[in-house]
Amino acid sequence: MAKEVMRRQASDNEYLHKDFHGALSTGIEYLDTHYGEQAVKDYLREFAVTFYAPLIREISERGLAALSDHFWQVYEREGGDAEIRLTEDELLINVPACPAVMHMRKNGYHVARRWVETTRTVNEALCEGTPFAAELVEYDEQTGRSRQRFYRRAR
Amino acid sequence: MIPCTDFIPAYSQLFKSLERLGGKAAVLDFWEYLSDNFLGNLKELVEAHGLRGCWLYWSHTLNEEAADFTMELDEEAGEFRIVMHACPSKGLLLNLEHVEPYRDYCEHCDVLYRRVLEPLGFECTVDMSECDRAQCSLTVRRRAPEARTRGTPLLATSD
Repeated sequence: MAKEVMRRQASDNEYLHKDFHGALSTGIEYLDTHYGEQAVKDYLREFAVTFYAPLIREISERGLAALSDHFWQVYEREGGDAEIRLTEDELLINVPACPAVMHMRKNGYHVARRWVETTRTVNEALCEGTPFAAELVEYDEQTGRSRQRFYRRAR
Repeated sequence: MIPCTDFIPAYSQLFKSLERLGGKAAVLDFWEYLSDNFLGNLKELVEAHGLRGCWLYWSHTLNEEAADFTMELDEEAGEFRIVMHACPSKGLLLNLEHVEPYRDYCEHCDVLYRRVLEPLGFECTVDMSECDRAQCSLTVRRRAPEARTRGTPLLATSD
């Protein structure tokens, strides 16, 4: 058979590789097994405060609207349903099923025991140094269904 | 939730965190763990289809990652090759002004794929000399018959 050739440029495709969730889950499981729960939290916190530094600055400047915009984009891009309600001092996010967890379950990837920290710890880190705080009100490990709350800290 | 589009910076940070906890050995150990526990689909495809399994695997991943690449499969010659003109992962990391990528980020590809492919009878050659420009190549060749690799003469001598 003749040689087959595939040539692609970045603009030929949308950047959306959901199997990356499985790789992150594998990393979290490894970290948890070898170094413990605190290492998982420390890692996710450090990632969030570093990578999301521009978003954290924006939260300080624009308030919870910046977070609301961020999560709209996240769930829209991932094709997940989310109900997002914003008031001046509170942002409520109800997710019927986490698109990352559902992708992993559907494709046979192991969901890490501490996967919940990709929501809880990351949300808390997003609020560091801002007037706001995060609370994970409800979380279902099987589906990733969650109720997330961001609110203004007591003055 | 960390969207999959933010995975690469999270991956790079994981390598940094592991190195701080256990040195480079911890990073290498994780890459081997990841290869063993996450790349089962590559292994299954190559076991089922030989070199074409590589083509099938990377046709899926590289397109979803919106990579700029040329991929070649020559089954008669026993060779599969990816030339990465612009790696989306390394490119993303290089373009982040506020995040320093893990120093040896690109090494993970070599460790992960070699660990799957070599036990299945293939040789992997990775050229990372241009990875600072988000360019690299991977060549996978069907290994020569064992007798040749051990230095047995190809033709019998007359005496």
